[in-house]
Order: sequence, then structure tokens, then C-alpha cells
Amino acid sequence: MEVLTTLTIVILLYSLYLLYKSYKLKCSTNCYLVDYVCFKPSPDRQITTRKCGEIIERNKNLGLAEYKFLLKVIVNSGIGERTYGPRNIIEGREESPTLDDAIEEMDEFLNVCVHDLFVKTKISPRDVDVLVVNISTFCPAPSLASRIVHQYNMREDVKTYNLSSMGCSATLVAIDVVQNIFKSGKKSLAVVITSESISPNWYSGNDKSMMLGNCLFRCGGSAMLLTNDPAMQARAKMRLKCLVRTHIGANDDAFNSAVQKEDDMGRVGVHLSKDLPKAAMRAFTENLKRLLPKILPYRQIALIVFHVVKQKLVQPDAKLNKVVAQINFKSGVDHFCLHTGGTAVIDAVRRALRLSEYDVEPARMTLHRWGNTSASSIWYVLGYMEAKKRLKKKERVLMISFGSGFKCNSCLWEVIRDLGDGDVWEDCIKDYPPKTLVNPYLDKYGWVNEETEETFNREERSESFKNSPW
Amino acid sequence: MANEPSPQFSSSVRLKYVKLGYQYLVNHILTFILIPIIVGISIELARVGPDEILSLVRFLNDLDLIYVMSTLFLVIIVGTVYFMSRPRPVYLVDYACFRPKPNFRVPFSTFLEHARLVPQFDERTVRFQVKILERSGLGEETCLPPANHYIPPTCSMAAARAEAELVIFSAIDELLNKTGMRPKNIDILIVNCSLFSPTPSLSAMIVNKYKLRSNILSFNLSGMGCSAGLISIDLARDLLQAHGNSNALVVSTEIITPNYYLGKERAMLLPNCLFRMGAAAVLLSNCRREKRRAKYRLTHVVRTHKGADDAAYRCVFQEQDSEGLTGINLSKDLMAIAGDALKSNITTMGPLVLPASEQLLFLFCLIARKVFKVKWKPYIPDFRLAFEHFCIHAGGRAVIDELQKNLQLSDQHVEASRMALHRFGNTSSSSLWYELNYIESKGRMKKGDRVWMIGFGSGFKCNSAVWKCLKTVKTPVDGPWSTSIHRYPVDIPAVVKVL
Repeated sequence: MEVLTTLTIVILLYSLYLLYKSYKLKCSTNCYLVDYVCFKPSPDRQITTRKCGEIIERNKNLGLAEYKFLLKVIVNSGIGERTYGPRNIIEGREESPTLDDAIEEMDEFLNVCVHDLFVKTKISPRDVDVLVVNISTFCPAPSLASRIVHQYNMREDVKTYNLSSMGCSATLVAIDVVQNIFKSGKKSLAVVITSESISPNWYSGNDKSMMLGNCLFRCGGSAMLLTNDPAMQARAKMRLKCLVRTHIGANDDAFNSAVQKEDDMGRVGVHLSKDLPKAAMRAFTENLKRLLPKILPYRQIALIVFHVVKQKLVQPDAKLNKVVAQINFKSGVDHFCLHTGGTAVIDAVRRALRLSEYDVEPARMTLHRWGNTSASSIWYVLGYMEAKKRLKKKERVLMISFGSGFKCNSCLWEVIRDLGDGDVWEDCIKDYPPKTLVNPYLDKYGWVNEETEETFNREERSESFKNSPW
Repeated sequence: MANEPSPQFSSSVRLKYVKLGYQYLVNHILTFILIPIIVGISIELARVGPDEILSLVRFLNDLDLIYVMSTLFLVIIVGTVYFMSRPRPVYLVDYACFRPKPNFRVPFSTFLEHARLVPQFDERTVRFQVKILERSGLGEETCLPPANHYIPPTCSMAAARAEAELVIFSAIDELLNKTGMRPKNIDILIVNCSLFSPTPSLSAMIVNKYKLRSNILSFNLSGMGCSAGLISIDLARDLLQAHGNSNALVVSTEIITPNYYLGKERAMLLPNCLFRMGAAAVLLSNCRREKRRAKYRLTHVVRTHKGADDAAYRCVFQEQDSEGLTGINLSKDLMAIAGDALKSNITTMGPLVLPASEQLLFLFCLIARKVFKVKWKPYIPDFRLAFEHFCIHAGGRAVIDELQKNLQLSDQHVEASRMALHRFGNTSSSSLWYELNYIESKGRMKKGDRVWMIGFGSGFKCNSAVWKCLKTVKTPVDGPWSTSIHRYPVDIPAVVKVL
């Protein structure tokens, strides 16, 4: 019967169409990094060693003991001479920051970085479907996400999310939001903005655990454009392979390792406890447990399983240190983007993963050139690798970041094409790695270590801070 | 002797019946078309003799087994693919609101006394605040956190954290008790609190207190205003689409402690009078087994952001006054902007929820006005056909009045919003949940009812969510209204004299 045949053909065609649609939907769930832009503040915001000395000297609450402590911190931090600070601190108004100071700092970043991103990618702001902003320590009303929507005249149905207080690992939380939205299959363009607000968060007291933040954090930020549209794959730089988030806040010590609170005098600062490195390692281990099966090649995984089983059979109660020593972490990863929390953090991760100096060079150089720019630091590290022309097609990049809570987030990207865009490193990449290893702070302020309470004369020394030739 | 009903009344009644008839026809058009077809087929079958039916059956038997099997197989594959690619349903298992204790109450007399004693306020400032309070629609039982009861209020970070722990943990404890959900089974955690964002975040604070799993997906939204609760629901929905068999805990709150304005700028004193403490914890899930006990299912979420417009962006703005004190400036255009944002929102929402009859009328009216240039007023679709209950953010009396006018709602429709404002004040993003609880406590929530939640917030944003009730909620309902529902609804006068 013709009717039956026709009916069958119609069902067949419709079923093929449905299968094609499902396949298309599946293809649109990938997350591509089209491009990213890092922020380079204007040169008048650079914090040289001299400027640093002036800022510290202005705080009358600090004595010799605090100076010695600060010098030790700055020397050990690995921070160089060309990092950037906010205007209010450079101009001497760090003790009384206003709302306008914080907004001005953010505006300087947003006006430059976001604009550059749109120009570089040739995307109109009205094409953006999702906007995720994470700026940890400053959240005005209306949110900074609304500020961007207003500034760039975005559409009414744009999905905005303003993440806050999620620490230095928040950029990967923002990528997680975008990645989950992309999984619905609907073709979208997402912009992720990451930065940190330094101006309103200067600590003016003398509690040592709270002064660390003043020494380490610097201004920076980045803007990223992501999409799940397969048509933009040719233009994209990288594709997201997996993202793993770990939160060990259930552990009290880890939760209390970085807490914003008032000191004994009522001044607000971020208290960084001595347990912080331990919490970081714990979170990192937890993260690796879930990350490694996703990134290591099958052969390595089989080898690890074999060694674990062998050890358990031979010595059931022994620790798995020997097995861990067998793991070649570099078998599934070619490049490492480590959060530039400080030299101690970079060294700890290097030891844990048994990386070479070449592997951690991008992180060390970023720390030297830009300081700890909080969540956006991993994008500067990526920029260094790109400027050094290290990123080739099909290579894999691992990003690891840590944040208060305590969180450890990591993600693996696959490079789509050979990359070589210098971006903010363009003007100085040839100076890195630097030939001299003399620490400028130790060089200039090393005299502090020789002073004692009796010999230390504050007025004399404050003159020498101001009149130094550097 | 009964008078003849006036002609105007008769015609309006006739018009009402015409409208009803039209709605019934259009909304059940499929039934009206199918019935004649079915009747036709049955008559045809009755005419056909038994021989013809037998020949048809023999023909089907002659078909190749392979042919039949492959067709069956194909149908099964297509069916499976279709069912698997549909969006996962998002169920609201249950929710709980923070129940403030009576010792946090701020009756008008307390408010007046404290305002007079605070050294930063002069007589003019006090009189202005009281004038606002008298006309605000708030009652005598709204609550402020302990720090605000000090004279002057203490705005320390420690006090703010204490308030956060109090409101958030009470709400979550109640929710976990009600649902029997173990904290280890929570996969997603979203917290939204606009004006207080400490390090570590409030979401980290919850992970720490309840010892949530290390692979939890936590998000902390901040600065997104009073509509942030629905933004969190939208994010939860997106995450639940990407992760199967998961439970999401959404916590909406606003911490009042650090945001008390101690200056003289009038526009910035309004939040002191309106904002009160509150929090809500909501458990969402896409697990099939939760469907049995879930209260609601999320059907739509529509978000509108009017930030591109200058006036809308500056409408609710945090700034520092001439003395350097930070506060939220509420502009005089707030009502107009809210109405405008709502119009944009319902333009997107309308086609998703309105019955076909209303959409056709709207389209017809639009064509007549734009194409044929007929001078008709724009047709406002009747949203009462799409929803049984309305939860409008209790931002203030004027907001509720404006929306009632715009959507042509009756007093009963906005009763939940007005009463929540009276009993709890403006609790920001959690207000929608207090209102939902009011409707349930009054025994009005029946299976199949649809609820429309509308939230407004700084930016300027208008977000709405539509829920469908899965089972009738039986009274008495254990919630923040359990001690006071018997006294409601109350008549709220335009001005309550205090001074």
C-alpha cells in the first residue's frame, strides 16, 4: 500500500532529522576560548622599590620589628620593580579610601580591557549573551556586571552573573558557570571579566598576618571571550577539555586560613594564617585525585592502578608515597599555568608535581613583572607562554589556582592552533628571564636587618627613605 | 420592583460572555477540530463491512518480519533520543524562610525612639524617616538584626557575620529538617547576598558549617539587588540541566547590619525605613525520585536587564554622600522604571505562558494599530488567565500599587505581597518566598496552580519565574506565618500616624 510506504518514509526522514539535531546539539557543547586580553595599567601607577618604601614608612603604626618582617616578606615574594598599584595608595590616601576610588580603579580596568577585547575579537557588545564578572573584594550596587552592561549598551536579555568573594581561584568558577550554560547546546557568546579591587582593602594596622596582603597583591585584570559555536572554532585559541573544582571548607583549619576580619583595634584586613600552605596542599591533593584520571593518558593510569594494587597486596598499611613518586604528571600536560600566589606557592606546586624550572618560569616571571594579581594571574602566565611562542597546536595547558575557602580549581585546555600574540608582554618579553638575580628590595632595604631597637632612629631613616637616589 | 439593568451593564455582561466564549473556543481548538474527525472515522468504520477489515489484517500479516522489526526499532530509537534530549525538569522539593524572634521587632515607636537618640540624626532627618515609615505599608512586627538595636547601630564586620550566620543557618536548618536531606547529598550551592560579601564567601561559610562535600559546585553572587533570588534560580536551573541526578541548595538573603545609613541625604534614608532582616533557603532537584514529594516544578525563567538605559542604571545606586557616608540612593523615577522593565519582561514572558486566545487578541490589536493605524489603546493581555497566584517583590507599597495597575490585578492577587510587606518588611531577594508561604498558609495553593514570581533589582533588572504546583498544600503550614496567619489579611491604611 502506497500510504503505508509513504508513512514509513516520512517516519524515517523525521527520525533522521531528529538524530541530526541531537548530534548538532552535542557539537555545540564545547567551550572555546576565542581570545583574551590582560590589563596593563598606566606607567604612573608603577610601584618601584622606592615607592614601596615610602608607602610603608607612611604607616606610623609600624616599628622596627614590622619593618624586618615586611622586608622578609617582600624579598621572599619574588615581586619585581614594575608591578602596579591603585592611585589612592600611590597618592598617599590609602588610609581613607572612598567609594569613588574603588570605582575609579575598576573603571580604568573596564574601560581599557573590555574595550580592547571587543576590538580584538571584532565582536559587538550587543552580540554577547552571557556576562560573568568576578571581582572578589568589591561589590557595589548596582553590580559591576550592570556597570558593564550600561557602559557597553548590551542587550536586555543578556544573562549577567556577578561573583564575589570567591578568592584567587574565582576565574575558574566563572569559566565553570559559562561552561555549564554552554552545555544546553544553544549557541552563545560569553564574556568573562576577572580582576581584583585593591584600593578599598589596604590594611592600616600592625597585625603581621594581615600585612601580607598589602605586600603581595597588585593591580591587574583580564577579559576573556568564550563561545560554544562550532563555526568560531577556527578563530579560537583553545578548547576546554575538563574543569575540576575542589572545596575543602568543611575542614575548619582550611576555612579559617584566609579570613577577612577586624583586628584588635577594629581595622579590617585579611588574616592569612600559618595553616594556609597546609590547607593549600590538602586542597591541591584532593583536586589532583579527581583531575588526574581525566588528564593522564590511559597507559599512565593503568600503570598507577597496577602499582597501587601491587603495594596494597604487598604492604596494605603503607602510605602511597612510592606510587605517587612513579606518576609522571607531565605525560598528559605540556604547559603549566600556576597561580602566582607567591614564590612559596610556586615552589610548593613545583615540588609536588616534580616540574622543571622551565615549566614554572612563566609563573615566576609573571610574579616578578605583575605581582600577585589574584584571580587574573593565570591569564598573565598564559600570556607569557604565548609571547614566548611556546604554545603549539594540540598541546595541552593546565591551569591551577587556589582561593580562600579553601578552594583549589584546575582546568585543562587544548591549544587549537599555534599561538604567538604578545599582548601585554609584547614590550618586555625580551627582558625575561632576567639576567640578574639580585633582589632589588634586599639591595635597597637590607640595612633594616642590621638595625636593633637601640640603634634604630625613625626620623633619620625616614629621611633616607625619601632622599635615596633610586 | 426590580429595575431593568442599565444598558451599559447589560452590554458589559454580554461582552464578558462573548469574551468567555471566544477564550473557550480558541484555547480548546484542537479538541474542536479532532471531534468531527473522530466522528467521521467511526462512521466510516461502521459502514465498512467485516470482509474489508479482514483483507486489511491479512495484508499486514503478509509484510516481511524484517520490515516490521526495523520500523519498530527505528521508532524506539527516535523515541529514546527525543526523550533524552528534552530539558530536565527542575523540581522545588521544599523551601524554608528565616523566622525572626519577637525580640528583634522594631515597632514604629522603637524606630522613632532610636532615631531620636542616634546622635547623627537631626530632628529634620528623624521626621523624614518617620514620615516614610508611616506611609510605607510596613507593620509593627518587622525585624532588624541585633546590631541595629544599638544606639548608634554597630556596623562591624563581626556583627554582620553574626547576622549572616543567624539568618542563613536557621533557614537551612529548617529546610534540612523538613526535607530530611543530608548535607552530603547537596551537589550545588548558590548564595546571593547583595550588600555584604566577606572573604571567605558566605557560600564557603555554609560549606564549612554543614561539612558539604569537596566536589560541591558553589557560587556566591553579590551586588545583584533584590531580584538576585531569581538569578540564583536561573543559574541553578542551568546547572541542573548540565548535571543529572543532582540537588541544588539556593540561599537568598540580605544582610542589613553593615548598610545602615547614618547621614542626612533623604534619598539615601529610604532603605533604613524599608529593609528588614530575612532569608530563604530553597532546595531544587532534578532527581526523578524527588518528583513524588516535590511541591513545585519550574517552568520558565525570564530575565530582563535595562542597564543600557541611563535612568534605569542610576535608579538604585550606591554612593557616598557629601560627608563620605555610603548609602543606597533610590531615585524618584523608580516606579516608572519598574513599570517599563516589567513591560519588557512580559513581552518575552507573554508568548511563553499566555493562552492562545490572549496571544491572538494581542496580535490582532497590534496589527490593527501598527499596520492599519487604528486608534486603539494597546491591548494588555489578561495574565489572570495564565496564573492563579502572583508573588510580586515587596519592594515597597508604591511598587506593588504600580504593578497592580499595570497588570490589572485584583486586590486578592496582590494580597500576598502587601501582607508580606506589612509583616516582614522589604526582605529583599527572600521576600518572594515569604509571599509564597503566605499563599500556602491561607490554603489557596492547589495542584495545577501556576505561580508567577516577579523580582526587581538594582541595575535595573526585572526577573520573573513561573512555577507549577504539583500537589495541593494542606493547612496548617509550618512556616514564618504560622504564628500570625490567623490575623491576616489586615487593612493597611494609607498613613499610620506615629508622630
